[in-house]
Amino acid sequence: MTPLVLTLNLTLSFAALAALALSLDRHHRDAFLTRAPRARARTLRLAGWAGILASLAVAVAFEGWNFGPVQWIGALTGAALLVVVLLSYRPRWLRPAALAALPLALVALPFALRG
Amino acid sequence: MRQGFRQSMAWLHTWSGLVVGWVLFAVFVTGTATYYRTEITDWMRPELRTGATFDAGRAADLGADYLKAKAPDAVGWFIGLPQPDKPVIEVHWWKDLAGPFHHALLDPATGAPTTARATHGGDFLYRFHFELNLPPLWGRWIVGICAMILLVSLVSGIITHRRIFADFFTFRRNRSHQRGWLDAHNVTGVLALPFHLMIAYTGIVTFALMYMPWGVTAAYKGDEIRFYVEAQLMPEVRAPAGKPGGLVSLAPLVAQAQGRVSETLEHVAVHNPGDAAATIVAIFEEPHGLAHLHPQIAFDGASGAELGATAIAKPATQISASFVGLHEAHFAGPALKALFFLCGVMGAATIATGLVLWTVARLPKPAERPGLGYRLVRALNVGSVAGLPVGLAAYFLANRLLPLGIEGRADLEVRVFFGAWACIAVAALLRPHLAAWREAFGLASLLFLAVPAVSALTTGHHPFDGEARFLGFDAAMLATGLLLAVAAYQAGRDRAPRRGEAAEPLPGPRPAAHRPSAALPPTALPPKRAASGAEEVRRRA
Repeated sequence: MTPLVLTLNLTLSFAALAALALSLDRHHRDAFLTRAPRARARTLRLAGWAGILASLAVAVAFEGWNFGPVQWIGALTGAALLVVVLLSYRPRWLRPAALAALPLALVALPFALRG
Repeated sequence: MRQGFRQSMAWLHTWSGLVVGWVLFAVFVTGTATYYRTEITDWMRPELRTGATFDAGRAADLGADYLKAKAPDAVGWFIGLPQPDKPVIEVHWWKDLAGPFHHALLDPATGAPTTARATHGGDFLYRFHFELNLPPLWGRWIVGICAMILLVSLVSGIITHRRIFADFFTFRRNRSHQRGWLDAHNVTGVLALPFHLMIAYTGIVTFALMYMPWGVTAAYKGDEIRFYVEAQLMPEVRAPAGKPGGLVSLAPLVAQAQGRVSETLEHVAVHNPGDAAATIVAIFEEPHGLAHLHPQIAFDGASGAELGATAIAKPATQISASFVGLHEAHFAGPALKALFFLCGVMGAATIATGLVLWTVARLPKPAERPGLGYRLVRALNVGSVAGLPVGLAAYFLANRLLPLGIEGRADLEVRVFFGAWACIAVAALLRPHLAAWREAFGLASLLFLAVPAVSALTTGHHPFDGEARFLGFDAAMLATGLLLAVAAYQAGRDRAPRRGEAAEPLPGPRPAAHRPSAALPPTALPPKRAASGAEEVRRRA
């Protein structure tokens, strides 16, 4: 089921890109008023890239190598736009939103598997 | 030549973008709308009821009957079979391959011309996207050249923007005027960059054989049809025999073809219908996949015997068809299509912000009178970016408000579109700049917000009639209207930025002396960088 897989892609991409954004000093400051501590930045960056790869894996596993990458990039673009809008207008909401996106992905996963 | 590679790329990006920006903005907006072409056409022909299924064989015969009476001497007929989302038989015919191409819509129940209102519907936006309503060859060449320059602009933009990763999520709308526009340009450009590169490249590939025909011309010695046949893009065609002949009923052939291919049968073409060597071709929807390849089966027009069919295409054709498929995104379901639409909107936004940025980066001194070129660019920006939405809303309103029976109604709708657009473009030359933005966006917003109301009043279809047929379209109109209202409000709120302000943080895609600490307050900037900023503005002005 494409919409469910897309939900999965969007939530994973959003959480991943939010982590990457928060690993940057400028955005960390917007969200938490401090620079990102070194170790935390590294963890966030690692989690971010892992999430992006996970999103690709999900897309390819469900949609194959022809549609999967298209959907992966589309989801990344949509999610990135959401991150930018949140950072610009409601930076404090980014972390809770990213944390809420992960359980949403977990909820979508079994449905996607069944569909 | 400029001092360095990056500077020359910045120069190239600035000027290549400016030259084609206005055309490309219109191409992006209409192309993005084309993702919902059938929905738009459906809305613009409210008399037709969608959702029913049709007997393809009977519809093909009804189309052929109409064409036999109308154009027995045509060299080609093209019968579009009715589908659940397009409940009409659409016939085209031509007496010369170079055109003109005639066209009619038939009622699938009776085969008589439909009583639905005459409109070009979403097809107008679709054709405008690559032909600009010009003669096809001219339009395609102009759009193609603009797309090639777009590729140049994209690549030079990537090189100019050296902080792609550091600034990936950055949109500082509360800093200076220019900073905000630059960030908006960068963010919309970078986030959807894969889409922008894909759409520019695949758009060119779609007409690659028109832009660069020489390979095929040389290899096939002018017999281009041979190329299309060998590439499995069409079945074998025959030259006319030169003597008259009869044409078999299409229904049995349609049934036979449908038994062979599982896809939906979309069209039946008849080549040389009045000739003894007439050829009937059944054309199917492309199978689900990236590649945009329509399976086809050809039959003899006199006997109904099968002449041949397209085979599985070889890799080169598959790849080029996949590029076309990616461009058109027919394969995308509703959710993915919405993402394609979003990317298209971001493309239009990248162009619009780039155009505005050009003027913001060249603000004249307070006492200085802006030059003619500067004022022209500024007015053209309003005319294209705010004028096009006005034209689009006027096009939709004209569909509902023009009297139904009048002569040339479909073309009149198009004239309303261009008329409204031209009015805004002229008004932009006469009004003060910020007022022009505010008023044009405000007008566009009002017009879009009026569309659902006008539609409900004139057709009786409204979101609460229990059918909700146009709920999606109405919602899209309201959303567009609200977005434009925000744009009008922002344009009205904008104080005219002072010139000195442009030099305050980082002006333009400045290549030199960037440091990753852009989050520092402007006062903490090293003096050298502030100075180089001022110098940059002077150089560009």
